[in-house]
Amino acid sequence: MTESFIDNDQPPGDPAEALRLIEEQRAAALRRIHVDDRWWYWPWGFAWLIGFGLIFLRNGPDGRVFVDLPQWLPVLTLVVLLVAAGVLSGITGARAYGSVVGDSSRRGAYYGWAWSIAFTGATVILVRVNDALPLDLRTLVWSATMTALTGALHMAGGAIWLNRTLFQLGVWISVVNVAGVVAGPGWQALIMAVAAGGGMIVFGAFAGRWRRHD
Amino acid sequence: MTDAPLDPVIHAQARLRVVAALSTLGAGDQIAFPRLQDVLSMTPGNLSVHLRKLEDAGYVEITKTHRGRTPVTLVALTHRGRMAFEEYTASVRALLQPPDIKEKT
Repeated sequence: MTESFIDNDQPPGDPAEALRLIEEQRAAALRRIHVDDRWWYWPWGFAWLIGFGLIFLRNGPDGRVFVDLPQWLPVLTLVVLLVAAGVLSGITGARAYGSVVGDSSRRGAYYGWAWSIAFTGATVILVRVNDALPLDLRTLVWSATMTALTGALHMAGGAIWLNRTLFQLGVWISVVNVAGVVAGPGWQALIMAVAAGGGMIVFGAFAGRWRRHD
Repeated sequence: MTDAPLDPVIHAQARLRVVAALSTLGAGDQIAFPRLQDVLSMTPGNLSVHLRKLEDAGYVEITKTHRGRTPVTLVALTHRGRMAFEEYTASVRALLQPPDIKEKT
């Protein structure tokens, strides 16, 4: 007869029980309606960590080769992991907004479109100028442009959802990106792997906890 | 024990849980009925009964629409419902404070 308990029209026994009921139900709803924040950040964080890590090992500073991987492998790995992360973000978005409609899902959909359109645009521009770039600068220009866009969109996300930590992540990505460009080819890949990729993973690990305490 | 009685619409275990779950949605958001039912572990009939009472009080808004050919029922907490829930939570918290902190009128 669990039904009769669930159907209970009776008031909660005392104020403490009422408060416990409220807190438990809110926590359960947050867990089940809202997706785990790690699904947003970890695919990107690991893509950067692994992809740029391999680029650094193959094309280190001053043309050094730490691990003699095939020349095509690191960049291909990065691109494949980034595409996978994009697909996972799409699935996460569908899960997050699939059963909730209204302002949040519209915000989420517009934001998702902003990412797709901005990255498509940047890709077209870079493909157009790619052949004119010196070989050693190609990876740097591609990743710096895309990372600048990523940083800007995270800051915009912070503005849309009034989420300070998301905004701070955007600032962090933007600053790390500039540091990588200043450091130059080779070092940039290391900075992107550790500071940007690692930072994204750390952020993902704590984002859920931060959000619940907002 | 208290001067003002607690809101009788929300002061029932099932409806308190419904309103608490809906309060996690952003303003302007609606949730599909089956999803809400799943979150609350209530039967459809059960949830309908409580939603009707909440709707009569103006605390929730129920929208019946279609997604393609499938009928969809969407549930949202109204502004009034959110205020009532916040007021209820505040009253319950006040009741839990030691009596000497409470103002005597």
